[in-house]
Amino acid sequence: MANRDKADVLQGTLDLMILQTLSTMGPLHGYAVAERLEQVSNGALQLNMGTLYPGLLRLEQRGSIRAQWNRTENNRRARYYSITPAGRRRLDAEKAEWLRMASIMSALLFEGGQ
Amino acid sequence: MNPRLREYWGRFLATFKRRSADRDEELRFHLEMAEQAAVRRGAPAREARLRAGGLSQASDALDDQRMIGWLRDFLRDTRHSVRLLARSPVFAAAAVFSLALGIGANTAIFSVVNAVLLRPLAYKDSDRLVTILHRSNFPVAPANYLDWRTHSHSFERMGAAEWWQPNLVGMDPPEHLFGLHLTESLLPLLGVDPLIGRWFLPGEDQAGSEREVVLSYGLWQRRFHGDRGIFGSPLTLDGESYTIVGVMPPEFKFAPFWDTRAELWAPLAFGERVHDRAANSLRVFARLAPGVSVTQARAEIAAITARLDQQYPGTNREVTVTPLKEKVVGNVELPLLVLMAAVGLVLLIACANVAHMLLARAANRHKEMALRTALGAGRARVVRQFLAESLFLGGTGCVAGFLLALWGTRALIALSPADLPRLDTVRIDLRVVLFTVGITVLTGLACGLAPALQISASNLAGALKEGERGSSERLGRNRIRSVLVASEFALAMMLLIGAVLMIRSFGALQSIDPGFDPRNVLSMIVSVASTQEAEPARREIFYRQVIDRIRTLPGVRAASGINHLPLDGDLWVIPFTIEGRPKPLPGALPNAVYRIAMPGYFEAMRLPLLRGRGIQPSDDMRAPGVVVINERAARRYWPGENPIGKRIAFGPNWFTIVGIVKDSKEGDWAGDIASAVYLAALQNRSFLGEQKFPESSYITLVVRTAGDPAAMAAAVQNAVRSFDRNLPISDVVTMDQVIATKNAQPRFEMLVLGIFAAIALLLAAVGIFGIMSYSVSRRTHEIGIRLSLGADRGSVLRMVVSQGMSLALGGSIAGLAGSLALSHVMQGLLYGVRAFDPLTFAAVTAALCLVALLSSGIPAMRATRIDPTTALRAE
Repeated sequence: MANRDKADVLQGTLDLMILQTLSTMGPLHGYAVAERLEQVSNGALQLNMGTLYPGLLRLEQRGSIRAQWNRTENNRRARYYSITPAGRRRLDAEKAEWLRMASIMSALLFEGGQ
Repeated sequence: MNPRLREYWGRFLATFKRRSADRDEELRFHLEMAEQAAVRRGAPAREARLRAGGLSQASDALDDQRMIGWLRDFLRDTRHSVRLLARSPVFAAAAVFSLALGIGANTAIFSVVNAVLLRPLAYKDSDRLVTILHRSNFPVAPANYLDWRTHSHSFERMGAAEWWQPNLVGMDPPEHLFGLHLTESLLPLLGVDPLIGRWFLPGEDQAGSEREVVLSYGLWQRRFHGDRGIFGSPLTLDGESYTIVGVMPPEFKFAPFWDTRAELWAPLAFGERVHDRAANSLRVFARLAPGVSVTQARAEIAAITARLDQQYPGTNREVTVTPLKEKVVGNVELPLLVLMAAVGLVLLIACANVAHMLLARAANRHKEMALRTALGAGRARVVRQFLAESLFLGGTGCVAGFLLALWGTRALIALSPADLPRLDTVRIDLRVVLFTVGITVLTGLACGLAPALQISASNLAGALKEGERGSSERLGRNRIRSVLVASEFALAMMLLIGAVLMIRSFGALQSIDPGFDPRNVLSMIVSVASTQEAEPARREIFYRQVIDRIRTLPGVRAASGINHLPLDGDLWVIPFTIEGRPKPLPGALPNAVYRIAMPGYFEAMRLPLLRGRGIQPSDDMRAPGVVVINERAARRYWPGENPIGKRIAFGPNWFTIVGIVKDSKEGDWAGDIASAVYLAALQNRSFLGEQKFPESSYITLVVRTAGDPAAMAAAVQNAVRSFDRNLPISDVVTMDQVIATKNAQPRFEMLVLGIFAAIALLLAAVGIFGIMSYSVSRRTHEIGIRLSLGADRGSVLRMVVSQGMSLALGGSIAGLAGSLALSHVMQGLLYGVRAFDPLTFAAVTAALCLVALLSSGIPAMRATRIDPTTALRAE
């Protein structure tokens, strides 16, 4: 069940990562999102389809992103995701929350002992 | 919308939709891209695929996010069940029909129980309201009420109501109205505001300023067509001018018991009666003060009345504080709960029936289930599949049952006695719907659980090996079914016994002798208040002449009049003193039902005169006062003496006993006979209007007809109106109708219980027929062997029938035990028959055994016709 645990931990941050990616890169298809995340993390984040697509669907169901079929540069049909205004608001809120938590945690873990 | 809610709603909707091909295309596109990227990097495509994960795994994960998992499984199981059920429509129809009957009957009865017993009364915080009466039923004198009100601290407010039946004249047609006089504190006490206008102001209940009136919504609509301009306009009641000051909302009813027909309310002024401790005419209502319990209020009232009783001996005994709701519904609580229990039993029987039908089917599906388990379906999954089937049956039964209940509730209302309190509030509300859904789910689980658990518990691997059918029935499964059928019989037995007891009790009620002859008697109340006949000088002449004129009508055998009709009219119990005996305390005076009769009353009612003479036309104001008493009064107050010639006094007036009549039913139909006295109407000052109190400005005419009394109603009313068109006539009834009304509640209980018992018997018969047919069909092979080995057909018949009979007998014994256990509850509903009635018990047992014999006889006959050679070849 180690996979499951990882997925649970990931879920909150995965949403944030996807939203941030779509926010900076504009509309992307699923594979491009995975590729981008792998790049940015220098290969540390390798999302398989079973994690990525349910995550995208969940964001879609919550109204944070929307999906549309479109053509790639090679004229291949692909499903493109883009962030919605509601998703942008959520991203801003969660980014702020993340910063707040991170500063609390770093204060606790690294500055308290000095 | 909240994002999480939105997500869940989307998943919910998606559960009912097929997955679109787009999703798979998206995943395939991902894989393709991953492979191309790997190839570009020079890595093998296999590695890319590994990193992206399996297609089917991703697809499953996507589905889990897309839909609600358990709901999807449930829908899948239900679809499967529907397909299976569609293949055996007879079974499905029988099961749905049984459940619809059970659920529908339960919903209908519950909607009545809900309205009558469960819903609070339509007053503010009605559970804080109490009523204070003598012996929980009898009215109270003004001075006592005023003392309780002054001395008690347990109540936030206390108020009183008094009977008032004014005549509305000056409007066409004149009408005799039912109303109440209320103290000014009563509406604030109930917490209901008028719809329009206002209630009485403080001080309006002072004598002399009580001329204001508040109308019910119904009366306002009926007589004034909802005209808002009537406020402040005068209304002539009993010849006095009143001002209309308010209208109550449509749902407002007061009083909730006793005078439930009241349609208008006026202030109650005691005037000189503030010191009256003898004339008991008030019903007292109170609201408990915050934090005070009924027990505390009772203790305080007990202390106050004990003190008052010392001060004024005999005036304050047995004063009771009763929660208002208990007072309103107390009489019907037991019958309704018994009906609720009975209808619950019907549903249990229906459940047992469906459960054992499902069990029989489950046996046939043993192999299918074994296969599923072998292919990896967990035990829980198999159980769920069964439950889906029974819940689907239950759900369908619920919908059908609900439609049945809509009709059934109307039928129940039509059947039920008119005086069942709060009947007009019966409706299907949220609580009824929740109840129905609740029992449906329970029913579904109850029906499905037995087969599901049994199937999943049995050795399924064995079933696969064993082949299509075991050589003989597996014992355990049969035992469960046998227990189910026996229980059906036990439950049906209990219902039947209850129903037969009710029928016998009703028969006993019907054969009660009322003392007089109730056939062909027509009665009506003619009110003279505020008409030209109200004048004392004219009233006596009018009463005599109207009766004489009715006597001349063709088809009339006899006619007379009385103050109040037996069994239907008001019942005044008045104390009297007996000449030459020491005077007892005021509370311990002899008393009797007080009737004021016109000459010829006993003849018209055919109430036999036992000794002496009746009331004659010559018993008028010029003659000495006379009284006729009933047997009960003679035996009670003059035991071993001849009462004729003795004298009794009501107040200051003395009367000589001139005759004794047979006892008659005056108040309760089934209750004890009370002492009664009949005074001569032509000697009675209040009856003739010469004396204001007690108020008596009406006469109840009794007419004995040759044929159907109802057919004479119009002719008699015309005869009355020929004297004065403005005379209000009310309460036109035949004596048979009066008695039917008195017995309406037991009749209702008998009918409903009878219907339930019939349904129960039918279901139980179907049950035993089903299990025996099934058993015979499963044992065809075995019976074939028996027959080929030389068993004669008679023994096969006996074998099958005895198997069915043993089930019925076992069930009957359990049912008898159950009925005995419940007999003390039933006793409260019965008249003239004991709840443990050996005759009833024996008859019902015999009837059930006969049903069992018939319903196992048909399959048994089929068993004897089995051809041994075909039966053996069939294997």
